[in-house]
Amino acid sequence: MLELADLHTYYGNIRALRGLSLSVERGEIVTLIGGNGAGKTTTLRTILGLVRPRRGSVTFNGTRVDTLATDRIVRLGVAQSPEGRHIFPRMSVLENLELGAFARRDRDGIAPDLERVLSLFPRLRERLTQKGGTLSGGEQQMLAISRALMARPELLLLDEPSMGLSPILVETIFRIIQDINRQGTTILLVEQNARMALRVAHRGYVIQTGRIVLHDAAAALLRSDLVRKTYLGET
Amino acid sequence: MNSRLGAAVLAVVLLAYPFVDQAVGLHTVHAVSDGMIYMLLALGLNIVVGYAGLLDLGYAAFFAIGAYAMGLLNSPVLGSPLYGHAWSFWLCIWVAAAVSALLGLVIGAPTLRVRGDYLAIITLGFGEIIPVAIRNLGDVTIEIGGWRPIERLNLTGGENGVNPVGRPYLPGVPFETDPVPWYFLILIIGAASVWAMTRLRDSRLGRAWMAIREDETAADCTGVNPVSTKLLAFALGASFSGFAGSVYAAKLQAITPGAFEFQVSIMLLCMVVLGGAGSIRGVVLGAMLITVFDRVILSQTTFLVRGIGRTLGVPALVSLDLTLWRWFFFGLGLVLVMLLRPQGLAGRRVQPLAGADVDEAAALDAAPPRVEAIPRWLREQIATGPVAQADALLDVRGLTKAFGGVVALNAVDLVVPRGGIIGLIGPNGAGKTTFFNVVTGLIRPDAGRLTFAGASLVGLRPNAIVARGIARTFQSIRLFQYMTVLDNVLVGEHCRLEARVAGAVLRPPRVRAEEARARERARSLLTFVGLSGKEDELARNLPYGDQRRLEIARALATEPRLLLLDEPTAGMNPRESHTLTDLIGLLRRELSLSILLIEHDMQVVMRISDRITVLDYGTRIAEGTPTEIQRHPRVIEAYLGTGAPQEPVVPGV
Repeated sequence: MLELADLHTYYGNIRALRGLSLSVERGEIVTLIGGNGAGKTTTLRTILGLVRPRRGSVTFNGTRVDTLATDRIVRLGVAQSPEGRHIFPRMSVLENLELGAFARRDRDGIAPDLERVLSLFPRLRERLTQKGGTLSGGEQQMLAISRALMARPELLLLDEPSMGLSPILVETIFRIIQDINRQGTTILLVEQNARMALRVAHRGYVIQTGRIVLHDAAAALLRSDLVRKTYLGET
Repeated sequence: MNSRLGAAVLAVVLLAYPFVDQAVGLHTVHAVSDGMIYMLLALGLNIVVGYAGLLDLGYAAFFAIGAYAMGLLNSPVLGSPLYGHAWSFWLCIWVAAAVSALLGLVIGAPTLRVRGDYLAIITLGFGEIIPVAIRNLGDVTIEIGGWRPIERLNLTGGENGVNPVGRPYLPGVPFETDPVPWYFLILIIGAASVWAMTRLRDSRLGRAWMAIREDETAADCTGVNPVSTKLLAFALGASFSGFAGSVYAAKLQAITPGAFEFQVSIMLLCMVVLGGAGSIRGVVLGAMLITVFDRVILSQTTFLVRGIGRTLGVPALVSLDLTLWRWFFFGLGLVLVMLLRPQGLAGRRVQPLAGADVDEAAALDAAPPRVEAIPRWLREQIATGPVAQADALLDVRGLTKAFGGVVALNAVDLVVPRGGIIGLIGPNGAGKTTFFNVVTGLIRPDAGRLTFAGASLVGLRPNAIVARGIARTFQSIRLFQYMTVLDNVLVGEHCRLEARVAGAVLRPPRVRAEEARARERARSLLTFVGLSGKEDELARNLPYGDQRRLEIARALATEPRLLLLDEPTAGMNPRESHTLTDLIGLLRRELSLSILLIEHDMQVVMRISDRITVLDYGTRIAEGTPTEIQRHPRVIEAYLGTGAPQEPVVPGV
């Protein structure tokens, strides 16, 4: 479904991605784990066309998308819940969610989806008329994920969805990620919480300094020395 | 060495220019001198816009105030007693600067509460008010029921302006129609201004301006008083326009209100933006380009085009006046610069320093914090500072805060003992960050007591609370992004330093010593948190984990007794979290620093907290030791869930 081949992305002179390749098959949860500054977020930004790769290609459902504008890529069925939330602070929670469905053509499907995300996150239902900016950090995180879900994407990109959430919500979020996936959404998950991410994912990639250094089934990665030592904090 | 050579070349060029001009017969000295007056104005505006980040659309008003202060004091028109002495000009120029600075304060005051667009609109209004007031105060009559206390009073000369204005007097130097003495007068004032501004920029005050520009809330919470800092920016920015206005009035020997219209404000803003807001070099460059273009190139080109028109016999070209198109070209230039180089021609550096390729392996193996690395001065400052008499350093009772109908905090009690680490946990939206915001003075509580080291904190501004000894970090990192790593920490020291405006400009030995000590301390703090070698990098270019550590270093620079950490390990991998946890434990153990910690990583909270308070919907639902909290049924239900923590954690460090 998604194919990244030999991506080289730069910020000015800084090489953020150095020949990164990975693929996501339909129906999978694939996780990308790595340290700060390894290039995880850059990978997602490159997929969405927010930065342009200097070399390499991004293919989505057989279409080259690395030259398309971001809104075109979103219309093809990719949605992202960005790191650091980036919600619309002066719009209400409901308006934020409705904007998530902005590019959809199936008007009838929107109401049931709204109901679905509100039942996933009852907290948002309580806050429906509040301005996005008045939500607490964790609530904004829920809103960002919900807004991405409202696009009913084929491919959902999640950038650190568990960041800033309480333990019980972290569990909930990962359960929701699995639910969404079972309902047919393919997911590329970027996480610091490698333990949880690898538990829900089918496959995983480990990224270091802009390239993939390890790639395997999630269960195998959980057992690998590199992952255990570096990303799970085991000694 | 290179920069010294450049400076020498520049000095020679500036000194030789008017004589070369006269020898060659270019006759541009007048135009260039006028241009330098605008350059000086643009530099003053740069303090307000470039350093403090306050968009001022009415800066020409200060130009008018400076010019009229000189005009009215040093002119026979209104019978000023100061007119006609040899020293008149030299006195009045200082008076004009002082009057401008004072009005800068007056005008700055009502604009302090607003920011951004609103501030710009207020200054726009002010810029319109001044010329209109000057026009209409030339003939004032007040009539109250037939009684006329004031009749036909001339305050400003009205539409006719003030004419003549006295010239400066120096023995042997004729300030007449020859432009050369004027050129040198303006050059000296300009050079002195650039010198003073450079020193201001690199001082405690300059850093405070930039911190306000970058993030006013974070600056307030780092100990910078936003009110006085912004007022000083307005006042000092205005004082330079007082000098510029004075010289302008004396050079023209006549002033009229028409010289201070809105367009002047816009032209000055163009100079700042074109060259690069916040960069003295950039503003000089921008002012030079615009003036030379306006005064020299446009008129010369018009001359040329007309010549061509005459030769070719094209009447349209013969009657062309390109100077009428000046705003067209300014606008076009501005659009192009914004598209191609939005930071201005010589604007701030935004790219990472060369060779900043992240060596991830090294980053992952970041050295654990060491006891020896704790800066000695910090140890001494914190140990010798005012010590709380009571056991409770921070004592919060019945703290309540509601936003509209939502009760964010409901009668919350919390005590942080001296040298204790208290965890504050709870579901998202439970009111944890609101609690921090109330303690740090960002939000006023509706009810409750808030006592720190025996004194109440209620009603204090955030910067005053920092001065008392409470520092914080933010959930979403709030560094001063376009300042260097070192400057970020130096802003943290702001409230412990004393240099004021005069000290910053004149740099007496006391200020030099203080600044040197501050830099040394900042460097030692950066070494302690593991950021040595990155002092000159812009904060925004640091990797995430480094930004978190820098925020802690900045908080420590305020010499706190209590440190509030809002999710310090969010977004860190387990190894980084572990290192940071060690660092927090070290601070407590070695410095007896008290710490209040919001954190969702239970491995961290349970490991280092002495006691934990749990909030849910603004209410304290539990309080106890980590072991008690882990077993508490309501906490498990509302917060922990059944799966976490995966393994039992041994509390205590």
